Amino acid sequence: MSAMQKPPCVEVRDLSKRFGGVQALADASVRFAPGRVHALLGENGAGKSTLVKCVMGYYRADSGAILVDDVEHEIRSPQQSRALGLGMVYQHFTLVSQMSVAENLVLGRAQIPATIDWKAEHRALSEFMRAMPFRLDPSQPVASLAAGEKQKLEILKQLYLGRRFLVLDEPTSVLTPDEADQVLSEMRRLAESGMLTVVLITHKFREVMRFAQDVTMMRGGRILATTEVAWTTVDELAQRMFGQAAITTAARQASAPAAAETTPCAGAYCEVRDLSALGDRGTLAVVDTSFTVRGGEIVAIAGVSGNGQKQLVEVLAGQREAVRGSVVIAGRPYRCTRAEMQRYGVYLLTEEPLANDCVRSLSVMANLALRRYDRPPIAWRGWLRRRVLRRFAEELIARYRIRTSSPLARIDSLSGGNVQRTVLARELSEDVRLLILQNPCFGLDAAAAAEIRGRIANARDRGVAVLLVSEDLDEVLELADRIAVMSGGCIVHEVGRAHADRYELGRHMTRTSEAEAA
Amino acid sequence: MTDAHGIGWLGIVLAIVGGALRVSTPYLYVSLGEVLTEKSGRVNLGLEGVLLMGAMSGFAAGSLTGSPWLGVLAAGVAGGLLGLLHAAICNLPHVNDIAVGIALFLFGMGLAFYLGKPFIAPRAAMLPALPFGFWSSEPAVRAALEISPLFLIGIVLAIVLRWALANTRWGLLLRMAGESADAARALGYSVNTIRTLATMCGGFLGGIGGAFLSLYYPGNWNEALSSGQGLMAIALVIFARWNPLRCLYASLLFGGASALGPALQTVGITAGYYLWSAAPYVLTLALLIYSSSTRHTLAGAPSELSISR
Amino acid sequence: MRSPSDAVDRPDLTQPPAAAPRRRLSLAALPAYAAAVESACLSLGAIAVALLLFGVFVALGGHDPIAVYKALYVGGFGTRFSIEGTLTQASPIILTALCTAVPARVGLLVIGGEGALVLGGLAAVLCATAVAAAPGPIGALVALLGGVCVGALWIAAVGALKHWRGVNETISSLLLNYIAIAIFNHLISGPVRDFSQTLKATSWTVPPAFGIGSMPGWSVHWGLVVGVSLCLVLFVVLRYTTVGFSMDILGGNRRAAQVAGLPIGRLLILACVIGGGAAGLAGAIEVLAVHGAASESLIVGFGYTGILVAFLARQNPLAVIPVAVLVGGISASGGLLQRRFGMPDATTQVLQGLIFLCVLASNAFAGRIAGVSRST
Repeated sequence: MSAMQKPPCVEVRDLSKRFGGVQALADASVRFAPGRVHALLGENGAGKSTLVKCVMGYYRADSGAILVDDVEHEIRSPQQSRALGLGMVYQHFTLVSQMSVAENLVLGRAQIPATIDWKAEHRALSEFMRAMPFRLDPSQPVASLAAGEKQKLEILKQLYLGRRFLVLDEPTSVLTPDEADQVLSEMRRLAESGMLTVVLITHKFREVMRFAQDVTMMRGGRILATTEVAWTTVDELAQRMFGQAAITTAARQASAPAAAETTPCAGAYCEVRDLSALGDRGTLAVVDTSFTVRGGEIVAIAGVSGNGQKQLVEVLAGQREAVRGSVVIAGRPYRCTRAEMQRYGVYLLTEEPLANDCVRSLSVMANLALRRYDRPPIAWRGWLRRRVLRRFAEELIARYRIRTSSPLARIDSLSGGNVQRTVLARELSEDVRLLILQNPCFGLDAAAAAEIRGRIANARDRGVAVLLVSEDLDEVLELADRIAVMSGGCIVHEVGRAHADRYELGRHMTRTSEAEAA
Repeated sequence: MTDAHGIGWLGIVLAIVGGALRVSTPYLYVSLGEVLTEKSGRVNLGLEGVLLMGAMSGFAAGSLTGSPWLGVLAAGVAGGLLGLLHAAICNLPHVNDIAVGIALFLFGMGLAFYLGKPFIAPRAAMLPALPFGFWSSEPAVRAALEISPLFLIGIVLAIVLRWALANTRWGLLLRMAGESADAARALGYSVNTIRTLATMCGGFLGGIGGAFLSLYYPGNWNEALSSGQGLMAIALVIFARWNPLRCLYASLLFGGASALGPALQTVGITAGYYLWSAAPYVLTLALLIYSSSTRHTLAGAPSELSISR
Repeated sequence: MRSPSDAVDRPDLTQPPAAAPRRRLSLAALPAYAAAVESACLSLGAIAVALLLFGVFVALGGHDPIAVYKALYVGGFGTRFSIEGTLTQASPIILTALCTAVPARVGLLVIGGEGALVLGGLAAVLCATAVAAAPGPIGALVALLGGVCVGALWIAAVGALKHWRGVNETISSLLLNYIAIAIFNHLISGPVRDFSQTLKATSWTVPPAFGIGSMPGWSVHWGLVVGVSLCLVLFVVLRYTTVGFSMDILGGNRRAAQVAGLPIGRLLILACVIGGGAAGLAGAIEVLAVHGAASESLIVGFGYTGILVAFLARQNPLAVIPVAVLVGGISASGGLLQRRFGMPDATTQVLQGLIFLCVLASNAFAGRIAGVSRST
């Protein structure tokens, strides 16, 4: 490993970047001082990742300059930025899960030796990790690491490769509040000890206030302001970010329809009993999970990604078989057949709808008909009446304001929000009695997300039993009547909304995860 | 009576052993080549076509130049070129590598028969054999233990590949391309280049496997030379869990199974000849059924491979 | 808590955020048959490129490419005799193409047409022998049904293995091809052999009354009509019925089909039964109409040619008809090429292989106009 170098000072001046008709970055100028943690704050589409990717060499800016240690560089490729000691840690892991920690670290090197002496490599790696805040076993396969450990491995990889300027892109999105705090405080410590310059891309005010020293606010591709964290407050940040429509987390909670207008029904509409299911690798992902959902209430299952929520929803959606346990709806066992779905009014909205509950290659019209195509009036004795289908689709498109050029357009030509609206239109236009949702607002802009949350609340008010599986704690706290925490594949904690506390929930989210290597 | 019977049953065992040593060689080369291709994340179902092209080129080059080893080289080159064709088409977006393999199978077969027409002859220059059975006075034993140097090279190759996949830079990059194309791209490597090279190497080895057929055993070129051996190698690779050393053992097993039919014929059991000749296919199918499962992906399968998803 | 600062799917580190959607939206307003037009253009383009490459190939071999093209045309479509030959060739491959095309609609890549065909032919012989005393049409019907059933069961096994055991259908169907041929050879050289035929191993002869005759005025047997009718029926079923729509959903996205509660196993088996039945029917027709008995002349690669036809027709039963005639024409002209240029009969196979490769490569250009569904 290279000797300790001073962390670089990176500055961008008047950086601009345009993609087709969209000005993703306009005249951005920021200075990232060495040895400090600098937060880049902004909502989706603000230009944070565009800015950073220009610095990292993935995009080439249309105009402007990038200076490293006050020397201008034209960074044309990721290799160049890496050579300058700039590194980036992404949200999605870029690790190879079938390989070991050591193999992943060696693979990241610019110069890999032709033959590799693994014994020597393992020794060198253990040496290296002794000086690091996180430590991992070099021979452990990455597939067996927890999400938090994978994130630490990604950071370790950058440090191992001698990068002294580190961009962290929403690093805590897959971590529990406690893990997030740990990682970020370590990053702060490394920066303060003069080893690193850290750029933290985030949209969470809390992280900015606690761990960053400088903050830059961005919106619509422009830099709004750069200031030191010590000189500002959360409210002021929010004011600058959102202007008049300032919505902080606290404000959201205050204004959200937290309490149901009708009381939930007495009996459970949906009951999950001791459900267990295997994950993709053959080990149990859902372990003896039990919960109930009553009509007229929203039950939210909160948890960090990777604790069995995906597999749980897949069982309820009929995409995965349970190995034990049962799902009972309206007192009858539920086997996810089409007839049962219609009879019990079970409908759902999964995350990444294009991958999970739409057919990309079919039109919007066809996707809207997914629940109805085999029933009159669209079907008649086995024949599909396309004209009736088209009218049905046009009506839904109008009612739910789905923006599409035509009902015949392919569904994957729609934006994310409109795909989600399509699925919502399709599901909610049926006689819904149990609505299952999984990360329904993932990837959507604030307006679309608010609209969808409103519809969910409306459904609940109409008496629908709603099961919301979400990895967004804010969303859970905003919508839920009852909150269950899922960790390690089972429900570890249940609490009513009134008594829910963010940090306590966060602690429960890690209850059965592996102890971290010191 | 006992003597004749004794020789009879011993004859079967010898035939199986001899078959295992002989017939396994094309399986070995083709499966080793396919291991490389599949480890990089592609499936090449066109191996049957590659095998035939290799056999034809080897035979042609051998008879034209008089040197069987040049024939082997030519066979490898021909296979490598077909591998390049497979990779070039699969590198295009939205192309299904399984379909391309089928097309290559048909194209390679047609090409081999077309170009090979003038070369259909009883024999060309043959590859030498090493007489490992010199210690025995039984001609049957001697015949069984005639081992081709290609087989020995194949064994060495299997060991070397096993080592190289874990301990060299190329092995690491190859495996990464097959496990996570995203990670490879994130590190700046061209996944298509890695896969192209891997498929070409796979084709090269497959071609050599074909050369074995025409230059050693059965040692001639005609249109009935191969009957699905290229395809069986695919199943062999799955059976061997993408491990080159296991490919060696599996090849011996399949070679022995293939030799069962002819072996029984030599002792006069002619009934059911065709059924015995189907033994390897049945074995392959049984193994495939055994190792597949709906619940989880095939153990050891490279994650980017389309047949294991 | 999760909230991305980038696209929903994996971060594509080298592509800018797609500005493309805007363009695609406007073109997606084109009527639905834009998809069909684009598919047809791509296939024709692929054939053109393949012919060009083939021309280069024969030129390298010392023949005049223009003369070869002419011979291809004449041999396939030039004279009444060659047209009859083409249609006779096309008849079985229309059906074996369905063995790949129909399962492709539900997302399976099945290439077991060859095996289903030979077993179907054998079954026809056995059934015909069993009802040898029956009147002509009844006997023929029984024989055809026998072929259909055996072919359907054979490929249904592929679907079942895939659904209940996760066995890759391409490999299993290919293995079953070889196993089917082995069973076929075993039976016609022994248990069902007609020993009076000394030239090659041949099965018992089908009673002549059960034979399928030619259409009036043409020396092309009625089997062609059967194949064409089946394609038309399947086209209508797949496009205009709810079952066909269910299959489209399953083939488009299995997870969406699960969410919709569709009976996936049943749909897969149904598709395999239809495809396998078609291939078995092809074998039965070949036996009843052309050979009169089952022998190795049944194993000539109709199944594999059918795969090419299915891909060239982009898995559409209606398009299979003209494509099969075209490919049949190429096969039929092999004899003329051999006689006139001395080219080996593998020549047509080279051309067909080239066409197949070009069609697959052309898939890279599919979907440039939004609203087109890509085939397998």
